[in-house]
Amino acid sequence: MIKADHLCKKFERNIKEGRKTRKEEFYAVDHISLKANKGEIVGILGPNGAGKTTFLRMLGMLMTPTEGEIIITDDGGSVLEDPVQKKAAIGYLSGNTKMYPRFSIREYLEFLGELYGFSKEQTQERIREIIDVLNMAKFADNRIERLSTGQLQRASIARCLFADPDIYILDEPTLGLDILSADAIIHFMKKQKECGKTVLYSTHYLEEAQFLCDYIYLILDGKVAAEGTPTGLMERTGTDSLRETFHVICEKAGFMEREGSDIG
Amino acid sequence: MRKIRVLVKKEVMDILRDRKTLIMMVVVPILLYPLLLLGITLGVGFFMQSQSEKVHTAGFETISDAALDELKELYEKNKEEIGTNLDFIRGTDADAWLEVAESDNGYDVKIHYISTEQDSRYACEAMEELLDIYQEKLLSENLKEKGLPQEFLHPVKVESIDQASESESFGMDIGGSIGMMLIVTILMGAMYPAIDATAGEKERGTLETLLTLPVSNFELIMSKYLSVALFSCVTAIISLISLGGSALILMSSVTEEVGSQIPQFSALLPAIPVILMTMVAVALFITAVCMCFCVFARSFKEANNYITPVLLVIMFASMAAMIPTLRLDYQTALIPVVNVSLMIKQILAQQFSLSLAGVTIGVNAGYSILIVWVLSRIYNSEDILFSDGFRGFRLFQKRSDIKKGTVPGAGDAAVIVTATFLLLIYVGTAATVHLGFWGAALQQLMILVIPVAAVWYMKSDVKELFSLHVPRASGVPGGLLLYLGTYCIMITISVFLVKIMPESSVELAESYEMLTEQPLFFVLLVLALMPAVGEELLFRGFVMGSIRHRHGAWWAIFVSALVFGIFHMSLLKLLPTAMLGACFAVIVWRTGTIYIGMFLHFLNNTISFLTIKYPEKAVELVPFLMKETLSLQEILCLLLAGIVLGGAGWIILKRRSTNAAEE
Repeated sequence: MIKADHLCKKFERNIKEGRKTRKEEFYAVDHISLKANKGEIVGILGPNGAGKTTFLRMLGMLMTPTEGEIIITDDGGSVLEDPVQKKAAIGYLSGNTKMYPRFSIREYLEFLGELYGFSKEQTQERIREIIDVLNMAKFADNRIERLSTGQLQRASIARCLFADPDIYILDEPTLGLDILSADAIIHFMKKQKECGKTVLYSTHYLEEAQFLCDYIYLILDGKVAAEGTPTGLMERTGTDSLRETFHVICEKAGFMEREGSDIG
Repeated sequence: MRKIRVLVKKEVMDILRDRKTLIMMVVVPILLYPLLLLGITLGVGFFMQSQSEKVHTAGFETISDAALDELKELYEKNKEEIGTNLDFIRGTDADAWLEVAESDNGYDVKIHYISTEQDSRYACEAMEELLDIYQEKLLSENLKEKGLPQEFLHPVKVESIDQASESESFGMDIGGSIGMMLIVTILMGAMYPAIDATAGEKERGTLETLLTLPVSNFELIMSKYLSVALFSCVTAIISLISLGGSALILMSSVTEEVGSQIPQFSALLPAIPVILMTMVAVALFITAVCMCFCVFARSFKEANNYITPVLLVIMFASMAAMIPTLRLDYQTALIPVVNVSLMIKQILAQQFSLSLAGVTIGVNAGYSILIVWVLSRIYNSEDILFSDGFRGFRLFQKRSDIKKGTVPGAGDAAVIVTATFLLLIYVGTAATVHLGFWGAALQQLMILVIPVAAVWYMKSDVKELFSLHVPRASGVPGGLLLYLGTYCIMITISVFLVKIMPESSVELAESYEMLTEQPLFFVLLVLALMPAVGEELLFRGFVMGSIRHRHGAWWAIFVSALVFGIFHMSLLKLLPTAMLGACFAVIVWRTGTIYIGMFLHFLNNTISFLTIKYPEKAVELVPFLMKETLSLQEILCLLLAGIVLGGAGWIILKRRSTNAAEE
């Protein structure tokens, strides 16, 4: 289980006033509270720049929150305190988590095995399993710099999967992938859910979120604009697809005006 | 430890797969030294040969044909000795020309030459030599005529005999450049992996992945440091072997005559492990410095920009051995890189002190451990990953972008301290050498001006940063007691340190001598009042204030005290001054005002100056302060007094500050 309690992140931005540039602080993430339970897929939706990535980075222990708290419990329900232990419980994937281009995926996984303290046999067994599941036998020994986008994403999934974490934090995992590769990743998430893992993921593909997520948080301007199950959200706004729900909520928040759009 | 090992292994594998690094690390040093040595030998040989074959023209004006013929004849006879080919011509159209005028009791001879032209210089030197021979000849003829012995002219015969063997002076001559060459190669070897492992990884996007793994900041920075250090050490060792090898080959090929000048390899054998250890230590240090700067960079290009000034500074430091008067002693041994450069020179000249080598190795290794430790403590993953370049350094921002009331960071403090330190070493030393006493005054002024200027630039709150609050009366006794306690403990430590480093204390005493000649008022102004204000503002104000804001009071006290100790540039004074610094820092922290510390600092300097100026009176008044050795009883008494007084001061200060908090 992973829980965020009034999480905030402040950044600085430049404001131009005449000839002078002034620095101003603002909340990229503004008091977001969230909970993702075992065996749940939780979706984070929102337009670009809403603060999704910053929020997920804080959950993934890559950024220190300005305010607020993150609580992570292990399988047995006890709260993890040590940041290193917390990181071990999380499999984190985003567009920015690249792998060493001068390594092959097999070498990378061997490195992970050593880092996590697995025995040689354990590591090899796990690698065989993962290569099999993700169908990577063809390119497992090529240097990562030579892989295609789809192969790369599968390799990244392999990295996340390797240490069998309890919580997956996936930042736009299906972005820019063809249908087959995207389906492979969706399949992967579903399977993890069945195994009782917690999956927290952000996406721009609303149809995908609609049938995949158990619970959805819609984030606008660093704040939670709406939350609920996909069906619950649609009922509340009186729409029959999540895409329309998204439009209605954004409009309500006065978000669409700024975009200058007359859709909806 | 396991994680660090695994990470280092990965890091090394990753860097090894990059060809550019391998070339920098292995190929460059292996090829560089033989090529360089070969080039120098060939170049020098070619130059010598061309000089010995070249004919210089010597012009003669206002000289009789007979005299010219006589000179020519004399030249032919002594051609070997003069060693330059001369062509005698009439007129002034020559490399150098000679003008003779008859005077009352002999001849006035002028040789016209152009000092900026080498041919002209050579011709002039040859002509001077020829005239010397001519003069000797005339003199001995005169003597013979008068029937006097040859000793008549030179009753005292002077000949200086160099006690240094030829190989020793040769070592001194070339040692200066060898240290630099080795250090620069290490720098080249360390630089690329350092950039690759930090900024390179950031640019490739692999660092974020690494940070998602269950690894602590310490493990991460340590493993990166160790792997880069491994590469720079390998570079160091390869360059050493390559240099030694090419030197050996060169030695076996040179003529007998020159060969006797080159140090025998066997004479250097015992020093080789020491040189190796020193090279490793300086490699560790250079790596730490490189890492320090690369960690902030977001891309390769940025890292290159940051590292270029570092490169220049280290290169200049490595040239220290080329300054003939600079020698390795207990003061220069404290400056990293410089000490290595000096040590190599001295080893090649076969003047070698094991204890100084120990200090040199210790200093370089110690500084690097300190840097890496501080680095891993200060920066969390967010700073490493998303840092906005030198965001930690407000000094490098445009002044118009800086908000009013900005508190300087640890980075700013480091920059200011380094700048002051460098200015003191270079400008300050020059000023003291040329201006004497007033140079020392200028030094003190620099210490005062730099932090104040920095604070102005950063628009910091002067009152807060420098703790410029009016002291309350009750803070004074507490501060005074703490100071007295510290002073008692300092004495015992000083006595102990003087015993283990006697040479160093003689140097220290000498440096005070020139100051005692000035009027008392000026001396107290420059030696007591100005340091009390300037040093307090820099260390207890700027350094402590900026560190305290982000990293807490204890860190601030520790770092400011350590820097204060190092600043006095003497191994002997390091520990006592650091203690004094800590004492003042605690007082500032507890009382919230810098003035009490300033007053005590003034008191401290005045006392120590007066004891130097009036040693007899001081012995009468405060005999225990002036002892050179202490008995065990006295030591125990002093320590006890120190603990009691200091403890009392601490308690008073503590109570006072809690009272203040309650109010």
